[in-house]
Amino acid sequence: MKTDLSPRMKIALYGLMLILLVPFVFPTWWMVTSSVKPISDIFAFPPEIIPSRFDFSTYGQAFELQPFAKQYWNSAYIAAIVTGGTLIFSSMAGYAFARIDFPFANTLFMVVLIGLLIPSEVTIVPLFRLFLSWDMINTHWPLILVPVFGAPSVFATFIMRQFFIALPKELEEAARVDGLGRFKIFWTIALPLSKPALGAVAIFTFLHSWNLYLEPIVFLSSPEKFTLPQALTQFTDAYGGAMWNIQLAAATMTALPVLIVFVIAQRQFVEGLAHTGLKG
Amino acid sequence: MTVVASPSELSRRKRPYWTMARRDSLAGYVFVAPQAIGIAVFVLVPLLLVFWYSLHEWNVLAQTFRFKGLENYHRLLSDPGLPEVLIATAIFSIFLVVFNMSLALLLAVLLNQKLRGITVFRTLFFSPVVVSLVAWTIVWSFLLQNNGGLNGILDHFGIEGPNWLRHPTTAMIAVVVVQVFKNVGLNMILFLAALQGVPKELYEAARVDGIPAFRQFRRITLPMISPTVMLTSIITIVGSLQVFAQIAVLTQGGPGMSTTVLVYYLYQQAFEFHNFGYGATLSILLFVIVAALTFLQWQMRKRIVFYEN
Amino acid sequence: MAPVTFSNVKKSYGAVKVIHGVDIDIADGEFVVLVGPSGCGKSTLLRMLAGLETISDGEIAIGDLVVNDLEPKHRDIAMVFQNYALYPHMTVEENMGFSLLHRGASTAEIKERVDWAAGILGLAEYLGRRPGQLSGGQRQRVAMGRAIVRNPKVFLFDEPLSNLDAKLRVVMRGEIKALHQKLKTTTLYVTHDQVEAMTMADKIVVLNGGHIEQIGTPLDLYDNPVNQFVAAFIGSPSMNFIKGRVDGDHFVAGDARLPVPPGAAEGRDLVYGIRPEHFTLAADGGIEAEVVVVEPMGSETQVTMRIAGQNVFGTFRERVLALPGSRLTLNVDPADTHLFDAETGLRLPRDAV
Repeated sequence: MKTDLSPRMKIALYGLMLILLVPFVFPTWWMVTSSVKPISDIFAFPPEIIPSRFDFSTYGQAFELQPFAKQYWNSAYIAAIVTGGTLIFSSMAGYAFARIDFPFANTLFMVVLIGLLIPSEVTIVPLFRLFLSWDMINTHWPLILVPVFGAPSVFATFIMRQFFIALPKELEEAARVDGLGRFKIFWTIALPLSKPALGAVAIFTFLHSWNLYLEPIVFLSSPEKFTLPQALTQFTDAYGGAMWNIQLAAATMTALPVLIVFVIAQRQFVEGLAHTGLKG
Repeated sequence: MTVVASPSELSRRKRPYWTMARRDSLAGYVFVAPQAIGIAVFVLVPLLLVFWYSLHEWNVLAQTFRFKGLENYHRLLSDPGLPEVLIATAIFSIFLVVFNMSLALLLAVLLNQKLRGITVFRTLFFSPVVVSLVAWTIVWSFLLQNNGGLNGILDHFGIEGPNWLRHPTTAMIAVVVVQVFKNVGLNMILFLAALQGVPKELYEAARVDGIPAFRQFRRITLPMISPTVMLTSIITIVGSLQVFAQIAVLTQGGPGMSTTVLVYYLYQQAFEFHNFGYGATLSILLFVIVAALTFLQWQMRKRIVFYEN
Repeated sequence: MAPVTFSNVKKSYGAVKVIHGVDIDIADGEFVVLVGPSGCGKSTLLRMLAGLETISDGEIAIGDLVVNDLEPKHRDIAMVFQNYALYPHMTVEENMGFSLLHRGASTAEIKERVDWAAGILGLAEYLGRRPGQLSGGQRQRVAMGRAIVRNPKVFLFDEPLSNLDAKLRVVMRGEIKALHQKLKTTTLYVTHDQVEAMTMADKIVVLNGGHIEQIGTPLDLYDNPVNQFVAAFIGSPSMNFIKGRVDGDHFVAGDARLPVPPGAAEGRDLVYGIRPEHFTLAADGGIEAEVVVVEPMGSETQVTMRIAGQNVFGTFRERVLALPGSRLTLNVDPADTHLFDAETGLRLPRDAV
């Protein structure tokens, strides 16, 4: 496949890729540019691909209409805790399933894997009742506990296990001879060597938490508890119509930081995902 | 030649209860415990409760919880809306998976070419994955308004676009397309890694044997990446059954019920109409479908995957 | 430093027995090589001594201490692994000091020991590097350095040279031997390569199928193998075996008559053993052999020949210029020959020969 291409072929490929790029890139561009256009221009005809006039007041209005800073913080700290918790528990479980020989390990692993088959959408009704009985409705607990222990974390455990299985066993034996116990081997040998897998898991987990939508709208009811995805849909006028420019400003603020981090660290992002135990 | 004073007695006497093997087992349980307990409390117990709840009617406001036997299941079988929901779910999932997998493969093959600046393209194709899901959906909803950007552009070329989100067919196309462009980057990257994992020698051998590029793709590339295709298709299908936010933001299941997929219907029944018992019954239906599809694909895997490491 | 004793050591995985009761005595400061084909249990024995495999039955003692139930860290051993098992995320210095660090040594002490080991192994200028930046031989040295810093009672080597190319293997073989002569630490060394065993060992233990075939010094095994397995395994190229019977003062195989010492047992099926290097070219009156392949090596010539329809291999100091199909006449000193029981494979004792 990877042969040197003729110049004509190259131009054709570039052309094809540029056309294919439009639906991937244009929406983001449209979001950012529309958010800084005056309201009169956002439905301008013909559409303005590059804004001619700027109006940044929408960004301020987003914070006035809703406790947007608080909501931003909610999303950020929940995602951080979920990511941290998942990294800790999944790497521990993944390590044990990959490396430690204990009775019923395989049975336990199968039980844990069942978690993959049961997305939280299936269990949302009993979860709602459980959290209601624990007095955790309209708190952030469900948004932390369910991802850290549910299907996404099982996926993370699976990735970590695949990674640890591929790690040379002799490294750990050397460490045992060097005088380390299980926990120290895990902490000083296995974990430092699993940074690529941890990175991939962190990215997956963060994005999953950051994008969570069903759980927040089921479990949260007051705006100061809302997370970003939920808050974004609330920028409506008195008649329920979308306040597009403000909504797009809020959407831009939600999307842009992650996007910028991604562009800076895109190599680690993409290659981390590609080189996890996902190859089958 | 060592003199070991009756070593057997020594060791019998000294043999501790916490042998190496026992201590290691204990470590294993300690490492696994948080995850296992968490799964039990937040996944397995709720799963059992879904079955239990599906036999009851629960009124949150009146705080009543009444046994109804199989009533919810009778309702499931006679629900006039359900066939429509299942058809919408099937159409959505099938189109999503086919479109997603083919586009991902096409992009991966393109990105696997020796071209200058290919990393930039890779980054851009992947970028929607990291854009907040609801933000992405809101922009598309903005673009797909009757007076939105897409129709504006079409009008520029003299085409009168439809009111995308207000016609059953175009609304379904819209939710599929929005979801595919959002997440196809993930499968694309996995396919690209698989393509790069195919040993170069295979292609060199094929070229020496004079096998044309198209046939190389069918006879070498596809079989070699089939494990990845299988795995991603499972993930994509199960994922397609969980799509909720896009529907909720773009179409709210409409127009009519044309884009009301099972998860959205479940949400409506339980949390908008407060039919929690019936919602639990729909959850079981969703679970059965997910489990059946996963099992089916796992079985097919043996026949379809040409090669496995 | 300490002696090591294996007493009736057994290992089984469920119903599968892999080590069938092994006894080995290793004296203080001795260099013992466990050698055998792959799957003979040599690595398992080593790993049982290291504490990386459990001991199903019997006892292993280091000095006076039975170590069966001790963690590896309490056994005071150090091990060099086949793939070196260097920690890729640590520098050479950190790799070598790692075990001391986890035994609570002070920074100064660690530095002193690491510098000492690095000095011995010529690693002083590489201390800041990561394993990934080192050549195969350097990694090998770091692995050895990691073992010696602690000054353990026993060194364990698990096929340490098998990842090196042929040339480097010879160099490192010499270095390991020199290191042992300098430190005089009890050493147990596992290899499948009989050349390594012969060149390095004070004492060789030949293992096959989970039991010991023979224990002895290299030359003892070469001269007096107890059975056909050891005879074939030790020495390269391998000993020739020819099937036949003894008739008077000759061993008869087909139409060939080979010399044997007088008094050999007559009348039963035997195997005649002769090492390739013990054939000499004779003017005439010796054994007739048909040349099949001639391989000139420069220092010697290796010739594949047929005697009585059986392939045999000879190495000669002379340059043999014979063409395939031509005939050579060979001489054999009866003292260099071995006779094995065809059924049991055991060598007939000399005095009975």
